[in-house]
Amino acid sequence: MPGKTSAPNTPRITKFTNCRLVRGSSLVEQDLWIDSLTGKILKDQEAFYELHLSPDEIIDLGGRILAPGLIDTQLNGAQGFDFSVPCATKDEYDQGLRLVNQGLARTGVTSYLPTVVSSTPEVYWKVLPSLGPTANTHTPLDGAESLGAHVEGPFISPGRNGIHKPEVLRSAQTYDDLLHCYGSSNLAPPTPHTSPIKMITAAPEVGNMMAQIPHITDAGIIYSIGHSDATYEQAISATHAGARMITHLFNAMRPFYHRNPGVFGLLGQSERRRPFYGVIADGIHLHPTSIKIAYNAHPEGLVLVTDAMRLCGLPDGVYEWTNGERIVKTGARLTLEGSDKIAGSSATLIECVNNFRRWSGASTADAINAATAVPARLLGLENVKGCLDAGADADLVVLGESDDPYSGPTLTVDQVWKFGVKIHDADKVAAVAV
Amino acid sequence: MSTPHESDAKKVARGLPFSESTRVIIREDPQEVSVYIAEYIVSRIKAFKPTETQPFVLGLPTGSSPEIIYKILVQRHRAGEISFKNVVTFNMDEYVGLPRDHPESYHSFMYKHFFSHVDIPPQNINILDGNAPDLAAECASFDARIARYGGIELFLGGVGPDGHIAFNEPGSSLASRTRVKTLAYDTIIANSRFFDNDVNKVPRMAMTVGIQTIMDAREVVIVATGAHKAFAVQKGLEDGVNHMWTLSALQLHPHPLIVCDKDATLELKVKTVRYFESIEQAGTDARTQGPPLVYRPRTYVPAPLPVKKAPGLTTPDRTPVKVPKDLRINTELHRAMEEDELTPDSMSSRMVDSAIGGLDGALKNDLIFDRMGARMTTL
Repeated sequence: MPGKTSAPNTPRITKFTNCRLVRGSSLVEQDLWIDSLTGKILKDQEAFYELHLSPDEIIDLGGRILAPGLIDTQLNGAQGFDFSVPCATKDEYDQGLRLVNQGLARTGVTSYLPTVVSSTPEVYWKVLPSLGPTANTHTPLDGAESLGAHVEGPFISPGRNGIHKPEVLRSAQTYDDLLHCYGSSNLAPPTPHTSPIKMITAAPEVGNMMAQIPHITDAGIIYSIGHSDATYEQAISATHAGARMITHLFNAMRPFYHRNPGVFGLLGQSERRRPFYGVIADGIHLHPTSIKIAYNAHPEGLVLVTDAMRLCGLPDGVYEWTNGERIVKTGARLTLEGSDKIAGSSATLIECVNNFRRWSGASTADAINAATAVPARLLGLENVKGCLDAGADADLVVLGESDDPYSGPTLTVDQVWKFGVKIHDADKVAAVAV
Repeated sequence: MSTPHESDAKKVARGLPFSESTRVIIREDPQEVSVYIAEYIVSRIKAFKPTETQPFVLGLPTGSSPEIIYKILVQRHRAGEISFKNVVTFNMDEYVGLPRDHPESYHSFMYKHFFSHVDIPPQNINILDGNAPDLAAECASFDARIARYGGIELFLGGVGPDGHIAFNEPGSSLASRTRVKTLAYDTIIANSRFFDNDVNKVPRMAMTVGIQTIMDAREVVIVATGAHKAFAVQKGLEDGVNHMWTLSALQLHPHPLIVCDKDATLELKVKTVRYFESIEQAGTDARTQGPPLVYRPRTYVPAPLPVKKAPGLTTPDRTPVKVPKDLRINTELHRAMEEDELTPDSMSSRMVDSAIGGLDGALKNDLIFDRMGARMTTL
């Protein structure tokens, strides 16, 4: 049997049974077959009849949820490592990146867009080559996989900079300005597969950005409106030009006003395709009701993001931030020292899924979709990531459900699988700790 | 195959159990019917003790009635009560021209409801390939594969409202083997509910095992549930063998077991129902007192009858040595006589019911008077 030809310690075909799969907007009791050799989800019936494959290992999940691995499209760093801070050498940077990937995978995030905040061109030139998509060389034990970099800034509105350092902000008049800033090899490479940049967050009203949007999208890069003071009309123009995303809706943009709804107004349209929008559901960045309003306006476009940064998981205190500034960490709350400005989040994506499920009333499957299927659709990877269809990457999370006495029903990441191989098992970790 | 008039002696000679007859088990509802059949199959497989070299060969159907049976079998498997590792399956039928992984193909049905949930090795599964380039060759190969496994041990089947078993529509030859069949219009209409209610999407042809293929199985179990099957059950059980009701062919099978729910017996005579119920009540429950699980040669062709030359048919070359006859004759009285002297016993002593016969017995045992009536008849 072909299944017996692979290495004896890693079963080739794994069948998950007694589990609930995320299928569309519901959880369906169904088995799932994965192949660790190809790293894909199997067309199980075909494999069974055609190739006479049968599972080498059958895993009874005891009714737990089996979901696609989570996708975070906005993540600034983790494990004390900041994507926006170059190291002395590229090797050192790549080593830090590896630790982030492995740590991130344990939280259920199997792919993500490493996000670089507004920086000087030199920083982009140094870090971006390390942050590109790694699909071709990625192995399961590498952990979370980069789907390309998300450059947030520096072509943003000085009035909506959040904690981005005002000195490094700039405006673009021509596409050459972008090429120079990010480095031409990072922006317009020959094929989209090797392009390090996957998404650019920029304010359409700053400089002549509006005219650059088509160039950006032509290069296979997603243009996202964010850190912007755009009016409703400007936002509409940006979507006409090709904007497909709004970076952390409500945060760092002109607030909704009934005489001019601003960027948020894009969700009110019904006559054309509405953009996707990122939402930080950490309980600090947004009021639950704001999330609910956005979700009710455009449920198919909501993408949960953490906007988490390197301090995530570290103890409370004052920490050095980029460019000599300092950040105060109080629990999950991060603020810039000497101000009330929110400086990113320290929530994990599964916590955001839990919050979102509690606040929005979305079904469990839809809450998970907001961190899997929807971002995959945004990234144009709908048959590869974020779904459990045959042929998709076998990036999976096993989610347990517990009833937290304070916050109610809570999903927990019990197991993480990358390319068909189990890379994290909370039960085993607990067992070792005991 | 047995014939209706085959004598018990011949059956014994063939190693078949004495009590072979149509068994009909009646249960309250489809669920109970399914539980009964699932347990029956489990007990049969267990009693067979299949091994890799001698697997249990099981014939399987698709359809709504068997679906519940599969569900219960899967539950039993999950509970660790039964393994299908050494079970080989042959499916009854498959549509022609429908893609194998089409949701309505019988490949998909079997995968979805049974095969993907149990430990049966994929190579042990035999389903007709409705997309084979040469359909006739595929059918022949199917029969050959059955033969190579030594025939089917137990064939589970359903029955259509028109009495069809597998896709052997009314009018099918009772001697048929695996072949391509054109579906009856009734069947196409009935199956259109699985194809967006569009009769044009229903495949026109199917490949199916023949009646003879089913008859060759050593045991046939038919599930019939619902009032719409009642007429077919009546025709199959109470009327004669008829190719218009292919179920009736089972009247010629040595081991048919038909499990019905109450609704499926609606058209039967009360007398018929009572008869089969009384058989079950009398302890011929198929699980316990059915035919004993004797090993029978795993061949299609019944083993040739052992030719025993009946004594007396040939002329003996010398006077045969007298042997005590196994009749109800008291020979003790004659023990003192010359062995080689031919002493005919009285004609009356052979008549066990006669008064004299009774006297014979009385010499050994207590004297029991015969009834007067017994004497009357002999006079």
